[in-house]
Amino acid sequence: MHAVSETLGGWYTMPRMRRALLLTAAAVLSGAAIVSGQPGRSGAPAPLSPRNASYTITARLDPATRTITGAETITWRNITTVAAAELQFHLYWNAWKDNRSTFMRERALAPSDGDRRRTADDWARIDVTAIKVGGDDRTAAKRFITPDDDNADDQTVMAVPLAQPIAPGMTATIEVEWRAHVPRPFARTGAIGDFFFIVQWFPKLGVLQDEGWNCHQFHASTEFFSDFGVYDVSLTVPGKWPLGATGVEIKRFENTDGTTTYRYYQEDVHDFAWTTSPNYLERTARFEHPRLPPVEMRLLLQPEHAAQAERHFDATRTTLRYYGEWFGAYPYGHITIIDPAYQSGAGGMEYPTLFTAGTRWIAPRGVTTPEGVTVHEAGHQFWYGMVANNEFEDAWMDEGLNTYSTARAIAQVYDPNVLALRYFGGFVPWVFRDVVLSRETEGNRLPGYRRDAESDTPSTPSFRYFPATGGSITYDKTALWLNTLERWLGWPVMQRIMSTHFERWKFRHPKPNDFFDVATEVAGRDLGPFFDQVYRSSNVFDYGVQDLKSERDGGQYRTTLAVRRYGEAIFPVDVAVTFSNGEHVTEHWDGTDRWKLYTYDRPFPALSAQVDPDRVLLLDVTYTNNSKTLEPKGGSAATKWSLKWMVWLQDCLLSWAALV
Amino acid sequence: MTSAWRDGIRRVNGAPALLLGVWALTLLVSVPMAAAMRGMLAQHLGASLAADTAASGVNYDWMQEFSDQAAGLGVTFRPTILGFGAVLDNLSAFIDNTMRPVVIVAAATVYIVLWIFVAGGIIDRYARDRPTRTVGFFASSGVFFFRFLRLAAVQWIVYALLFGWLHPLVFDRLYPEMVREVPVERTAFAIRAALYLVFGLLVAACTSVFDYAKVRAVVEDRRSMLSATAQAIGFIRRNLREAAALFLANFALFAAVVALYAFAAPGAGQTGASMWLGFAIGQIYVIARLWVKLVFWASETALFQSRLAHAGYVNRPEPLWPESPEAEAIS
Repeated sequence: MHAVSETLGGWYTMPRMRRALLLTAAAVLSGAAIVSGQPGRSGAPAPLSPRNASYTITARLDPATRTITGAETITWRNITTVAAAELQFHLYWNAWKDNRSTFMRERALAPSDGDRRRTADDWARIDVTAIKVGGDDRTAAKRFITPDDDNADDQTVMAVPLAQPIAPGMTATIEVEWRAHVPRPFARTGAIGDFFFIVQWFPKLGVLQDEGWNCHQFHASTEFFSDFGVYDVSLTVPGKWPLGATGVEIKRFENTDGTTTYRYYQEDVHDFAWTTSPNYLERTARFEHPRLPPVEMRLLLQPEHAAQAERHFDATRTTLRYYGEWFGAYPYGHITIIDPAYQSGAGGMEYPTLFTAGTRWIAPRGVTTPEGVTVHEAGHQFWYGMVANNEFEDAWMDEGLNTYSTARAIAQVYDPNVLALRYFGGFVPWVFRDVVLSRETEGNRLPGYRRDAESDTPSTPSFRYFPATGGSITYDKTALWLNTLERWLGWPVMQRIMSTHFERWKFRHPKPNDFFDVATEVAGRDLGPFFDQVYRSSNVFDYGVQDLKSERDGGQYRTTLAVRRYGEAIFPVDVAVTFSNGEHVTEHWDGTDRWKLYTYDRPFPALSAQVDPDRVLLLDVTYTNNSKTLEPKGGSAATKWSLKWMVWLQDCLLSWAALV
Repeated sequence: MTSAWRDGIRRVNGAPALLLGVWALTLLVSVPMAAAMRGMLAQHLGASLAADTAASGVNYDWMQEFSDQAAGLGVTFRPTILGFGAVLDNLSAFIDNTMRPVVIVAAATVYIVLWIFVAGGIIDRYARDRPTRTVGFFASSGVFFFRFLRLAAVQWIVYALLFGWLHPLVFDRLYPEMVREVPVERTAFAIRAALYLVFGLLVAACTSVFDYAKVRAVVEDRRSMLSATAQAIGFIRRNLREAAALFLANFALFAAVVALYAFAAPGAGQTGASMWLGFAIGQIYVIARLWVKLVFWASETALFQSRLAHAGYVNRPEPLWPESPEAEAIS
């Protein structure tokens, strides 16, 4: 180790650019051989992705000043049909430079007082100090641009005009040096105490498309988009602080100044995240499956959650198994689970081969904390990590697909899954064993959608969703219509749709129509009208029974049923009538007209009628009105629940009477 | 202290009518509200089949649908009303100073005013330690109602300071500062728990002062509530250990009742007999809570009287309705 440190002593006196170039050369020479479990260069499998944006990065964290100093060499290949006259970079951390950025202005629309108490040191910034393209110093030419709005104060996108355009098929080497200040956490990023979670942290190229650069400003309600590549990253942190990052650790150096340098490497990913803290406990486990490749799991968790390690592994196994069986295999061979520190705000976020879970000190069994978030974020390895849609514009394509998939996976393993509410400042949980959470409603987040159903049309670019309600459309509505599709077409068809979409678009950037085309192709029917309703409209679904009568008419009972479409959205539904002799009649209604009348003459009266009895249409915002019975129990149910409520009220009154 | 505590329990148990009376008072406020809630629930369920699952267990989907469209009273219809969750919800709301809907605040205000009305009669009964009959009870209630209303004004100022000024200062400003750089949840919880303790002790100290003020007002027939409050502080200061120990003993009773209910609290259940059994268990819990509250007053009365020259002393003659100076004084 000492010899290594001496070598590194010279290493750190070397100019940053040369270090970066040497690292690049080392990565190219060692190639796939340094990736755990991969064969040497001659036997290397074909790349999984285009690898057109590869990064070799060296960076040093100074925790005392919360500063990161970095240098990167980007090897970028123009895979479009147009020449690039300029480069565009995301400088995400400038969103948190002050409250004038687009991110902060939008964030103000979603009420939170968390930013009021920020001190000057709590804000972030990222300053590019040098940039060369093909050896040509372009530092003086860099400028900030605002492709999404006219906010001159936003500095989250940097454009660098080129002296020579980069033609299609050509490769450029871009060298960047920067310095950044780590904020108190914003959007899962930053530091609290000695916990550091460092993401979206380096100057990062946007995505060049045939239409031009797709490099949006950082918005409050959206995430990210970038090209696939190879990441070779060396990170220097205080000595012996455990570090977790995208990829696998291939080398570690103990430096003479007491710091430790970790080198991580990963191919075929589109981002790189890392975290360090002296308090992490490390646990490892392995995922094995008869038909899926094994995955080494590494968990970095907080000491106060030590007893929950197996719950994290179990949830990750659930994802790797079910997503693997349903959609396709996880190919990387390793995954890192991060249990973030309390108040870090870093929980529940996905990065390639690494994700943050999120749990509580007291986490009762039977309640899916930490399982719910773990399954979801691990699931993003599939929907986001591999199938890499543009999260700025079509966030539903990963968040919605993944919320649907998460609910499905959770239902396979964590059933029953019951409600817990937290009291006393949110610290003390109480489990309500009687309140079982269903996949269809709670798993797909119907209550959230119901509240914001008309807030935005899903086809609107995600970054233009209203910040306070965007999640309800991105996550909830998409999960609900996907599950509706499953209940309509059947799981075998739906599974083929999802797996075909996965197989066709993994390591690529699908757009909404790509998913719709796959769905229509696999289903073998025109699903356009359905997608018009759920994707290209903010209309609400609400079908119901308006009236049900069964009156004696001679020796017969005449049963009259009126069903109604209360909402604007249209979906074909079944209408079921049950008679007192046990007979069931099911009608099929195309759901187009505002109402429809059914009349039956039977020797028996009707008992009940129901629109959509199998609850295929999970987007129906008012299911209570979907049925009527001629033997109603509303009164007795109301009595039961009002008595329970009365005890709550009496206890409430007694609490305040304590002051008398 | 132990003898005062035992004496207080004996006095409460010796006057079951008072316990039943305050339970009736609680029902008086809660039953109309529950009836209103029942109406809202019945209207929303209508003739829907959703009522079937709501009747036989929990239809959480319907509950959420209801509360999403509800206003006023209806917004309080949440799963937290189930079983022991109701108790945690209320205790948590109390110590976290969570604002309740206006209609609940109004009901609580009415309930508190009713308690202020009966407080004189209750303490008088316990102080005399013999039956005062309905006439005597209401006469005493009437005599002290306006005095205790004046005391309530003082209480309101003190509690407004505690909950309106100190609580936000401690929990919205001080606590966030204290845990600002704390990356460990249990540490943050320990800090919050310590602050709960400090705030709780302050509230307890104030309620004790006002309790003894009421006791002194009744036993010594005091008319000035400021003087009664000052004398109550003096009494507590002189008998700090006994008063504190008595408070702790009574608080332990409260904790025991709550703990027992944690085990006995019914779940969702069904309609029919099990519904009424669950309701009966809830009412037993409510009565137990009321009993504890009465034990507070009775034992504090017993402690105060035990420090007088002769125990059981009450300065004011027992009022006879309608022909006595005390009764006339009410009007």
